Amino acid sequence: MLTGDSVYLLMFGAGLLGGLGHCSGMCGPIVAAYSLNLSPSDEAARPYTSLPHLFYNAGRITTYSIIGGLMGLTGSFANIVQSIEKFQAMTMAGIGALMILMGLGTSGLFSFKQKGDIPPSRRTPAAVLVDAVRRVISFIAETQTSGSFYAIGMATGFIPCGLLYTAYIAAAGAGAGAADRLEGFLKGMLMLFLFGIGTAPSLFLIGRIAALKRDWLRKRLYRISALFMIFIGALLIYRALAS
Amino acid sequence: MRSIMLIALLAGLFLFISNPVQGAEDVPDCSIDMGPCIHTVAGRQVTFDISPRPVKTMKELTFTIRATGRNSELTILLDLSMPGMYMGRNEVLLKKNPDGSYSGKGIIPRCPSGNKLWRAELTISGAGKVSYTFNVNR
Repeated sequence: MLTGDSVYLLMFGAGLLGGLGHCSGMCGPIVAAYSLNLSPSDEAARPYTSLPHLFYNAGRITTYSIIGGLMGLTGSFANIVQSIEKFQAMTMAGIGALMILMGLGTSGLFSFKQKGDIPPSRRTPAAVLVDAVRRVISFIAETQTSGSFYAIGMATGFIPCGLLYTAYIAAAGAGAGAADRLEGFLKGMLMLFLFGIGTAPSLFLIGRIAALKRDWLRKRLYRISALFMIFIGALLIYRALAS
Repeated sequence: MRSIMLIALLAGLFLFISNPVQGAEDVPDCSIDMGPCIHTVAGRQVTFDISPRPVKTMKELTFTIRATGRNSELTILLDLSMPGMYMGRNEVLLKKNPDGSYSGKGIIPRCPSGNKLWRAELTISGAGKVSYTFNVNR
């Protein structure tokens, strides 16, 4: 049982170790997929090319910290997990769908960007609905604001993960032994925050490497990049349905 | 050429890490759903049991250990891990019972990859380590 002040260092260390192995293999493909989808590099924007990855990781760590806090608050892993399991599966399927959309966009076969408004003569209810769906998909798959990466990161933080569950178990244990609920909440939150920080370097590195090569990949292997994203998306949906 | 090698290396890394290579020792040696498992270490027979059965992930489980021989001074640590994949430290705190057995509560997390093989490693003071590898149910 993890106890004492050393638990925080252990959580960070677990994140570091997990990031190098576990996270790189499981979440690395997602990071690589959105990195390949980043806009073509721009000399003027170069200083900011780390921002998407920073916001993505910040989003992930936010989700981990909140759930860690809930684990610590209740002192129960099983209860919290049972209440979010279905949501986790839906989120994983949603991210899988997002990856597929990104892949289709990267392949050049489809573009979800809206080209002008619908002419009044064509404004049927069906056309308006299709247009609305297209705008939502375009926003999700092709918008590249800091907020969108933060949101993707937050959503990714809900993806089921055995390593993360172990961290949550530790947070619940710390909460169960806390003097009161507030202490449990803060302990759980801090433990998962440090765990998340530990996982960040490896995923940040994967994102940067993939982003650095995106132009090269786009020009020469854009279909393979697209297939990679679609494969990852399909795998996530499969796992969501199987869970 | 360097870029292709880098991409191939990354792809290979992803595949390797996502599908851990299991060694010869990473096969179940304990049918925990059928009953307790017994291994011997330093001349002691150590019985390992989990309840309730069938043993499922994401549920609170009770781990019970019994060791033959004098155990009044024994300390036993239980660590749960997944062979071939780092899942973090998952230690179960064991307390001694009046009947001489040791028990504690813990949870085996579910791995979305579908891998069901887990290992319980016991560190017994004065005797050494003994492990039990078993499959769990989702």
